Amino acid sequence: MSVTAFFEKAWVRWAAIAIVIVALVVFPLVLPVFANQTIARIGVFAVAVLGLNVVMGYTGQVSLGQIFFVGLGAYITVYGVLHDWNIILVFLLACIGPAVVGLLIALAAARLGGLAIAMVTIALPIVGVPLAKRLGDITGGSQGLSARFTDAPQWSGLYDDQWQLYIVIVITAIVFLLTRNLVRGRYGRAFAIVKGNEAVASSMGISPYWYKVIAFTVASLIGGVAGFLYMVVIQFTSPETMSFAHSITLLASMVIGGAASIIGSLLGGAYYVLIPQLTNIIDPNATALLQGAILLIVLFVLPGGLVSLPRVIARLVRRGRGTGGGRTPQTTPIAEPDPAAATEGIPTERQGHA
Amino acid sequence: MGTFIQLVVDGLSTGSIYAALALAIVLVNQATGLINFAQGGMAVLSAYIAWWLTGLGVPLILGILLSVAVSFFLGAIIERYLMRRFERGDPDTAVVVTIGLLTLITGLCGWLWTYNNQQFASLFSLNTIQFGGASISVRSLGTIVVMVVMMILLQALFIGTKLGLALRAVAVNPQSAAFSGLPVGRLLMVGWGLAAVLGAVAGALVAPQLSLTPGMMDTALVYALAAVILGGMTSPIGVVVAAWLIGVLENLAAVYVPFIGYDLKVAVPFILIFVVLIVRPQGLFGRRTVVRV
Repeated sequence: MSVTAFFEKAWVRWAAIAIVIVALVVFPLVLPVFANQTIARIGVFAVAVLGLNVVMGYTGQVSLGQIFFVGLGAYITVYGVLHDWNIILVFLLACIGPAVVGLLIALAAARLGGLAIAMVTIALPIVGVPLAKRLGDITGGSQGLSARFTDAPQWSGLYDDQWQLYIVIVITAIVFLLTRNLVRGRYGRAFAIVKGNEAVASSMGISPYWYKVIAFTVASLIGGVAGFLYMVVIQFTSPETMSFAHSITLLASMVIGGAASIIGSLLGGAYYVLIPQLTNIIDPNATALLQGAILLIVLFVLPGGLVSLPRVIARLVRRGRGTGGGRTPQTTPIAEPDPAAATEGIPTERQGHA
Repeated sequence: MGTFIQLVVDGLSTGSIYAALALAIVLVNQATGLINFAQGGMAVLSAYIAWWLTGLGVPLILGILLSVAVSFFLGAIIERYLMRRFERGDPDTAVVVTIGLLTLITGLCGWLWTYNNQQFASLFSLNTIQFGGASISVRSLGTIVVMVVMMILLQALFIGTKLGLALRAVAVNPQSAAFSGLPVGRLLMVGWGLAAVLGAVAGALVAPQLSLTPGMMDTALVYALAAVILGGMTSPIGVVVAAWLIGVLENLAAVYVPFIGYDLKVAVPFILIFVVLIVRPQGLFGRRTVVRV
């Protein structure tokens, strides 16, 4: 029995989901503070990467402005919290605000083909940073603003980091679930056709323009959610939050994790958070050098991103066996002998990919 | 009036630097369909090489020429051993590869030569000329002249030489070019090399003004990208004109529009892009392309 077939059995799926849920409930209680904070940060940026994936991975429009919406969401959150608004209202505004701005930008930008959208979106962080500094009355200028609103309530008996991680897990899980349904449904198929060939999409009665606008708006909304979560975990925002460098890293994280992939978004979030920590440990002076090198090496070995790793390993194993085996002995027990299953890899993750 | 002339000349001068980078981007884009985000980083590396050579006692002009030569080979090597693998693949991945290259090169400069500002001697004297009530720096004029010469040389290369013809053939249709017996791979290497040369010249021109740091070209790259879009991907002259337009307009807006000022002047080219692209999605000078299914 192949791995794929094994995972397609209903009870296996449900068991796996149950194990993940139990793990997500238990881990925050047992892990040290630093681990909890790191996981929470991964959640924040996984959501941001997921948003980028909707517009770029699934719809094929290169966006360099995703971090702007994260920053906007964070600023709306901090503004609402400092004015003692109801937190549910603040959350909704942090979703709606970026979505509206994203919609307005998309209405103009989606008229343009190809990389022109990238150029328009590059402007968002470039203009956003000085604008945030200029509007100092609202944004606190270069100093930034901080807001603590996610201390653990008394009745819960939890520590702050545990409480924050639970908030992140719940919201992240909901966003991932909704996005998964979106990209696997009717919209996801339309996105894939637009990505594959706009002319074909038009001839099928799918308006590339509207689907690009929808994808961009959804991505902005998800970016806003990431901004809210950013304030939950980091509790501080400044113009630096939406700097161009962060936007670039977000894009790199998406491709490294795996474009057009839900799991890839999680891996991308992990890359975003963990790689700077790793390179700092190795040599703080060479952080940028190492990050660039790691990025290039990953793309060289895995152009499809980390999510394609199981498939690549399976292929190597098959090739190794074909030529007498033994080239990658340590991976042999993981992969199953069925070549058909190996080529399938993680088929469901690549649905909607034209 | 004096201020106005001064702003226009300074704008043309900074615009020339954007133009050099923008031409490099167009050169690569025409040949490979890629936008090379590492173009600014490559220019910084060239500037560091020139600076390092002058530190060893090499005269400035020779140092710059040597760094230009080295840049040609670096560009060609990057094409051959890194980009070629991604050129015909998923464009998203290729874009991210160039971003990775940008991070790598910036990091390399910072690691080798620290992130501190370094003084880079200017090719031109720092004197000013009085003209119509404006004091115009020789450096601004020199930058503009170098840029115009580069443009003419590039144009002559493309129109007047066999190499230029071959490069254009590869740009229009690599497959047909290959069938006609052109060494497409080698031509792509030359294209990347020439782009790196343009970047090296831009780096040498901008380094004395901004003082040399690994992130020196980041803003210039953004402006260059704006010029590329505004001018239209397919027109080198359009790109240069757009770069000058951006340089002049942002200078004027910074002074004459109070809300914009110096910190928000970076917004000007993008507002311009927004307006132009809504009217002409192919850019000011670009050709409209028809897509066949």
